[in-house]
Amino acid sequence: MLNQYYGDYITVAVFVAIGAILVGGAVAANRAIAPRAPGGFKDVAYESGIEPIGGGWNQSHIRYYIFALLFLIFDVEAVFIFPWALQLEFFSSIGSGLTVLVEMFVFVGILLLGLVYAIRKGVLTWE
Amino acid sequence: MLTLDYHALLPELIVAGTVLVTLVVDIVTRRKHLVAIIGVLGLFAAAVPILTLSFCGSLDFCSSTEASRVMFGGAYVIDGYALVLKGVFIFAGFVALLLSIGYLESDRYYEGEYYFLLVASVLGGMAMASSRDFVSMIVALELVSGPAFMLAGWRKGDARSNEASLKFFITGVIALALTLFGVSLLYGLTGTQQFDQIAVLSETVADVPLFTLAVIFIVLGFGFKVSAVPFHFWTPDTYQGAPPPVTAWLSVGSKGAGFVALLTVCYLALPAATDVWGPLIWIVAALSMTVGNVVALKQTNVMRLLGYSSIAQAGFMLAPFGAVAASGAGDLARPFQATITYFVIYAVMNLGAFGTAIIIGQRVGSYELEDWGGLSKYATGVALSLAVFFMSLAGVPPLAGWFAKFAMFRATIGVGNWWGYSIAIVAAVNAVIAFVYYAKVMKSAFFDDVPEGIDVDVAMSDAIPAPIGLAVGLAVVGVFLFGVLPGLAANVGNFSTDLLGTLGL
Repeated sequence: MLNQYYGDYITVAVFVAIGAILVGGAVAANRAIAPRAPGGFKDVAYESGIEPIGGGWNQSHIRYYIFALLFLIFDVEAVFIFPWALQLEFFSSIGSGLTVLVEMFVFVGILLLGLVYAIRKGVLTWE
Repeated sequence: MLTLDYHALLPELIVAGTVLVTLVVDIVTRRKHLVAIIGVLGLFAAAVPILTLSFCGSLDFCSSTEASRVMFGGAYVIDGYALVLKGVFIFAGFVALLLSIGYLESDRYYEGEYYFLLVASVLGGMAMASSRDFVSMIVALELVSGPAFMLAGWRKGDARSNEASLKFFITGVIALALTLFGVSLLYGLTGTQQFDQIAVLSETVADVPLFTLAVIFIVLGFGFKVSAVPFHFWTPDTYQGAPPPVTAWLSVGSKGAGFVALLTVCYLALPAATDVWGPLIWIVAALSMTVGNVVALKQTNVMRLLGYSSIAQAGFMLAPFGAVAASGAGDLARPFQATITYFVIYAVMNLGAFGTAIIIGQRVGSYELEDWGGLSKYATGVALSLAVFFMSLAGVPPLAGWFAKFAMFRATIGVGNWWGYSIAIVAAVNAVIAFVYYAKVMKSAFFDDVPEGIDVDVAMSDAIPAPIGLAVGLAVVGVFLFGVLPGLAANVGNFSTDLLGTLGL
């Protein structure tokens, strides 16, 4: 059984080897074939064909990060709701549909409280 | 039909409700001390169902039974062990909250969120005590640690506090990754997450090298959480940099949650691997005691000293468990009881020690030992309280610490072979070393002269804040109670294993 277990990893090893050869080959072929002309406009940051304004390093505002966090909360909530929705019918067939329904509302309520907190703290106001 | 024993879940439900209410109150009011009051009341209320559950047999209205307390398919169990530890976590959270109230008002801190996070961390500790499968255990462990990471960095303007938070966070996450890796290997081998099933199924895979690897990873991950040597390096920096009330919570709540995790997993899930984790815990315990105590000798900052002291105490707690498991002497219930007894007493005396240190630190304005000189000359009561807790930590009768040490020595020597005797010798030598640095603090407080920079009139100008006074007073009572009536602590220890024994072990 254990040999079988380690045997499965041979597949993984073969895949890794093939992957390495493919990538390595492509890069090597590129180096061998491609023409090279360093310098000039090649060193300039790419900005959709328009001449770039300012440096390549930009600070993005911290509020984007908080927005992302808030989005993530409800993203994860959805992940929990889908399997719950699939199982709800089963639970109502054994007579605890109402309990399970209420539990999901409690869960969503707790998450909404987090959103209310964020709004109260002025996270969503864009200055 | 899904049935839940709501009476058994009531402590967690009350604390979870408290967490939500503190958040709501924080956003609707400007009077932030209201949030603290709600937190304190919530934890106090949660202690009530713990008592009714503990004495369920003699109460008419209590319909909760042992069978009904095994919930969620066995993933969440409220037994005597869980109740004892929930009591300890609630007490620790209660004291930490009281210590925080006076402290946060001394400077400009965010207050509402602080209490919210602290109560959430307490909830994690309570869930930890009941977790009987790896999923609920990891969630509980992170519910303890997550808020604690933020609390450690609460003094935003202070570089040390930032360092404390970051070090704690990074080591905490590495520890979690190690544990999760071990858990995933274990899941792959046995196909289950639940402790009692792993205990049965793991016997068939006990010879597989991967199983050994999984056990080592899990124990190492928890080793970080309990800050045992050689995974302790973050502890002194974090304890020194974090706000003192948070340090008090970390040293009991967060460390305690790690202990509970380690004990439950080793005892319930991995009895087939005692030959792996037994010697591992034996070595870690011996190292923790020795390194913690020897390094503590050189400390000049009281918070750092208490940090190393807590590392050493962790070693004392692990010693009996490691000795019995390493020698394969079978019955793990006795060292289990000794460890729980030690932990309960440690929680009370360590919280008291931190509370007293906070009072002194606020008056003197520093946690450096040399500034504490001559304390007894102008603050006799506080100096006496300092003496009570430090002597208790050193293990002097009639204070609670001696019984903790006694239970530990009885369990290790009771093993009856060299695994037990040798670690008992290590522990005895370390108890003497520990006495030296606890006594050094005493000497400074009672016999040294008041240093030049300390203005006694300024230091004594404010009364001790009532909440801090209450917290320290509670701990003093606890230390004397457990010291004079050791049977009380032993009963608590017994209670924690009796019920566990009836749950299929």
